[in-house]
Amino acid sequence: MFIKVVKDWIRRSNKLERIWLLAKIEFKLRYYENKLGLLWALIKPISDIFIYYIAFQKILNQGIPNFVSFLFIGLILWNFFVECTSGTVQILSTKKYLYEYTNMNKIEIYLSTILANCIGFFFNLFFFIIFYEFIDKGTLGLSWTAFYFIPIFINTVLLALAFSTILSSIYVLAKDITQIWMVITGIGFWVSPIVFNLEKFRTALPGADHVNPIAGIIINARNVLLYQKSPEWNLFVFDFIYAAILILIGAFLLNKVGSKASEKL
Amino acid sequence: MSTEHNFSIVARNISKTFQITEDSHNTVKHRLFNLFNPPRAKKVLALKSMSLDVVKGESIGLIGRNGSGKSTLTKLLAGVYKTDTGSIDINGTTMLMNLGVGMSHELTARENIYVSGSVLGLKIKDIDAIFDEIVDFAELREFIDTKIKFFSSGMVARLGFSIAVKAGADIMFLDEIFAVGDMKFQEKAVKVFESSWIKGKTVVLVSHTMDIIQKYCQRSAYLKKGELIYFGDTATAVEMYLKDNE
Repeated sequence: MFIKVVKDWIRRSNKLERIWLLAKIEFKLRYYENKLGLLWALIKPISDIFIYYIAFQKILNQGIPNFVSFLFIGLILWNFFVECTSGTVQILSTKKYLYEYTNMNKIEIYLSTILANCIGFFFNLFFFIIFYEFIDKGTLGLSWTAFYFIPIFINTVLLALAFSTILSSIYVLAKDITQIWMVITGIGFWVSPIVFNLEKFRTALPGADHVNPIAGIIINARNVLLYQKSPEWNLFVFDFIYAAILILIGAFLLNKVGSKASEKL
Repeated sequence: MSTEHNFSIVARNISKTFQITEDSHNTVKHRLFNLFNPPRAKKVLALKSMSLDVVKGESIGLIGRNGSGKSTLTKLLAGVYKTDTGSIDINGTTMLMNLGVGMSHELTARENIYVSGSVLGLKIKDIDAIFDEIVDFAELREFIDTKIKFFSSGMVARLGFSIAVKAGADIMFLDEIFAVGDMKFQEKAVKVFESSWIKGKTVVLVSHTMDIIQKYCQRSAYLKKGELIYFGDTATAVEMYLKDNE
């Protein structure tokens, strides 16, 4: 299916333009329809940072240096993943108008929604960099290792796409996957090193950084952005393999179950 | 007319069966609690195995009584439904039009024009070029930046029809489209239909009005109870249909 999509793109060049158009409209609907506009994208991680800072740094006194930057990058990656996946569980129902009357490829609908989330993510990443470089005191600063963040983010997008196709296909058969996924992401948040010291996290939950793929993404993002280190290569490779396998499963389900969405939903 | 790329649609041995479940097993909870009590599924054979080709640029008619499988066949040929058996090769973009095209009620008329135009295969600069024509044809200039959820059903239908008229797809499936808008709008619609669709595109026309089928279609398919009884010249197909209605 993916090879067919790429071939189609080359043949009919309006596909990239269409994905971008749908992404812009999705982004506008999400952020510009309320009075706070784009600021809303930033308020969510800032309010989360405030709460977790009080709980984990002040009350539990974890002693993690530059805890706000540590939280900031972890939260925006996690929120990006959750928004992409939660926002696409019902996509075959909410975006039915796009494929019900034409032979448009459904994968474009997923890509446009994830692209809309990317715009919000880059907005947050920009503020993270400003905060980390110029406001947070005593940081190491960004170095050349920050370039590793590009493949790490691509990996996150691939995971989001894979989970989106899997979940939305399941939705065709079982509507309560929306609530079940909310519970899973709720658990996933705590089975990740977003708010915890990495050593304590690994001691308490050995192997969790491999079970939860976003845990590995966050660990490596912190290595390359906060600590001027290279990624942990085993996690880096493992998460790409994880994404590749899930994408194959997602493509299979979309082809088998998602293709019947127009008659089942 | 005979090389494979002269065809817009080549369908071979296609069939479609719908599974209608009587119980609501559409949640994970239901499925888990009823592991040993699977839902009773009723199979409805909507289309029996059939083959047909549509040549590029021709206009074919689909006729048959209610429940004969016309809508299912159009959805299969348009690539909206997946076939259970056989294969369909679709050569180009398709649009299934039944009193309008698919539009989001959360978007404005302007956004819907761009989204629909793009979905139908146009580039943004092509949509820019026909944008004013679409708005004027739909007679909706003063509501162009209003969300269409605030439109009347007639306004939505006019907008959908206008997008289809001006943007169009390579292969158009038109299901009883001559019922859109008031009389004045219908006259306009028929004129455009004759000048741009019939002459320039591949059209599959579904209608119960035999005058329309006879006027526009060179070949027609006659369906009865999900079976393709005849596919050939329109006069014979219409005759069979009328006999069935006696």
